[in-house]
Amino acid sequence: MYLELIDVLISGLTNGSVYALMAAGLTLVYGVSKAFNFAYGSFFSLGGYIAWMLMAVFGTAKGYFFVFILSVPLLLLIGYGVERIIVSPLRKRQDWEVKVMMVTLGLALLLDNSFQVVFGARMKSLPPIMEGALTINDVIVSYQDMAIFILSIASILCFRWMLNNTRLGMAARAVAQNPAGAQIVGIPQNIIFASTFAVSTAMVGVGGILLSQKYFISPADGWDILVKAWVITAFGGMGSIRGSLYAAFILGMLEACVGWLFGMSWILVANFAVLVTTLAIRPQGLFGKWG
Amino acid sequence: MNWKNMAAIMAAIYGIMAMLPFFLGKTNFVMHILIMCLIWAVVASCWDLIMGFAGIFSFGQVAFFVIGAYASAIVSNTYHVSPAGAILLAGGFTAAVGILVGLPCLRLKGAYVALVTFAVHMTLEPLLKGDFGRAIGTGGSRGIMAIAPLKLFGVTFSSADPVPFFYLTLIFFIICTLIILFVIKSYWGTAFVALKDSENLAASLGISAFKYKLTVFALTSFITGLAGGFYCHYVGMLSHRLLGVDLFVTLMVMLAIGGIGHYPGAIIGAFITVTLNELLAPLGTYRPLIIGILIILLVLLFPDGIIGLVQKVFTSKADKATKPVY
Repeated sequence: MYLELIDVLISGLTNGSVYALMAAGLTLVYGVSKAFNFAYGSFFSLGGYIAWMLMAVFGTAKGYFFVFILSVPLLLLIGYGVERIIVSPLRKRQDWEVKVMMVTLGLALLLDNSFQVVFGARMKSLPPIMEGALTINDVIVSYQDMAIFILSIASILCFRWMLNNTRLGMAARAVAQNPAGAQIVGIPQNIIFASTFAVSTAMVGVGGILLSQKYFISPADGWDILVKAWVITAFGGMGSIRGSLYAAFILGMLEACVGWLFGMSWILVANFAVLVTTLAIRPQGLFGKWG
Repeated sequence: MNWKNMAAIMAAIYGIMAMLPFFLGKTNFVMHILIMCLIWAVVASCWDLIMGFAGIFSFGQVAFFVIGAYASAIVSNTYHVSPAGAILLAGGFTAAVGILVGLPCLRLKGAYVALVTFAVHMTLEPLLKGDFGRAIGTGGSRGIMAIAPLKLFGVTFSSADPVPFFYLTLIFFIICTLIILFVIKSYWGTAFVALKDSENLAASLGISAFKYKLTVFALTSFITGLAGGFYCHYVGMLSHRLLGVDLFVTLMVMLAIGGIGHYPGAIIGAFITVTLNELLAPLGTYRPLIIGILIILLVLLFPDGIIGLVQKVFTSKADKATKPVY
């Protein structure tokens, strides 16, 4: 009982940290460009599949170092291209919000089924990033969980530093606060939109690489992730990185506990309950700044 | 578009539909496709009403459809209510669910509404598959295998003899789409458009966002629930597979082809999409892939769908004629 609870807590912490990374990406893209990206979950699977392919090409011996070095630029490039080709042409329309939802939904369907065609419906698994486990008395913490936790927290911190200290990050925040004002002072809006989209794609893709080692990669996995990332973003507050951090850990814990006590099928129901309660009581979320 | 044009287009579509069984009535498979066209046309019209006209990003229409279907099947199987009554009850139940979902959505804006309604969709599947669903009679992941066919005035309408069922569906759904047409062109519809364009201005003119948005949630979920009930008694079996992304996106394609907010477009879109889906069926796993590409291309190249395209062709000619020359 006591040891099981510890396991649940560790699982909640690890998943929570990855969720935080993915929710931060989502809050970035929605906060800056107000685009609802239905393909966000598919990029999660895409990250997992890219890692799987790189592993297959370079062998598992070189480990994850190569995977991260190669997959992050690739994901950035894909994200940038997707935004420029299918999202930004719609921006000048009055009803662009619905159109963006539709077009990203089409992209999600396209990606999911491409995975199915290319990789097959069978689940793929990635090797753990680190073998072995740390044992303190009876409590066992695997190095894999620790590595996932540290990597995702490091990514979030790196992202936060970028947002606060680089010119690109400051420009992105300016566009989020006042698009017209940002344009007046000469910030190229289209490039900012595309860059934030690219960064968010990379973040969810890295999340996919990290979580796919614990679970499996399968073509239609992304939909759960999409809803979870959105629930976390809404719960934590749109546009607040700190909020999505707290919210991700709370929801990660909740998920681990609900899964342990009631079974996996209740996780989505619990997420939904949290979402509705949050939006009914405090629509701006825990730390919401805008929207 | 004025209501005369809308009514003319609808009359033409349904007139052609009513004639088709005389030529194709012998092949059950074709009749099945036609019936599915009619059913999806109504669901797509409801979605168009709530998303295109009322401007509420509701992504729960498929969920409402499935709720209606399950409700009708459970009521007629477990409580032995006659199918016609069950369909009405299912409509009422779905409307109640729609109001429940609509209430939190009224406080929200834009994408948050999409999130909540889509979450309803995502949550429904584990609920129907799990212990809770089994307890109320959804049959878990196996689904409901046998549902009584529709019986009206002593005549049984079953999928074995599709021509009478086709005409029943046609009459029923002409009524539904007419209701939607009247709503769009009445004071209600104008209020929806006003709310969509500027909620503050509309509120200052005395249009209650609360009242109208809740009514549109109730109305669309009621009609969608009826369509769901109709569907389940026609097909005779139900499973949670309806909640897959496939059907959801297919409905989206109907709107993309017809054009969101260009009303009878959704009906034309539904007919084209259902036929296209059947034609693409031999492609197997490549079918959803092609539909995905199709939806991207359609939205990028023809954002207003067929109706928008036709309108553009006509208005640009008129514009050229009336443009002042400086």
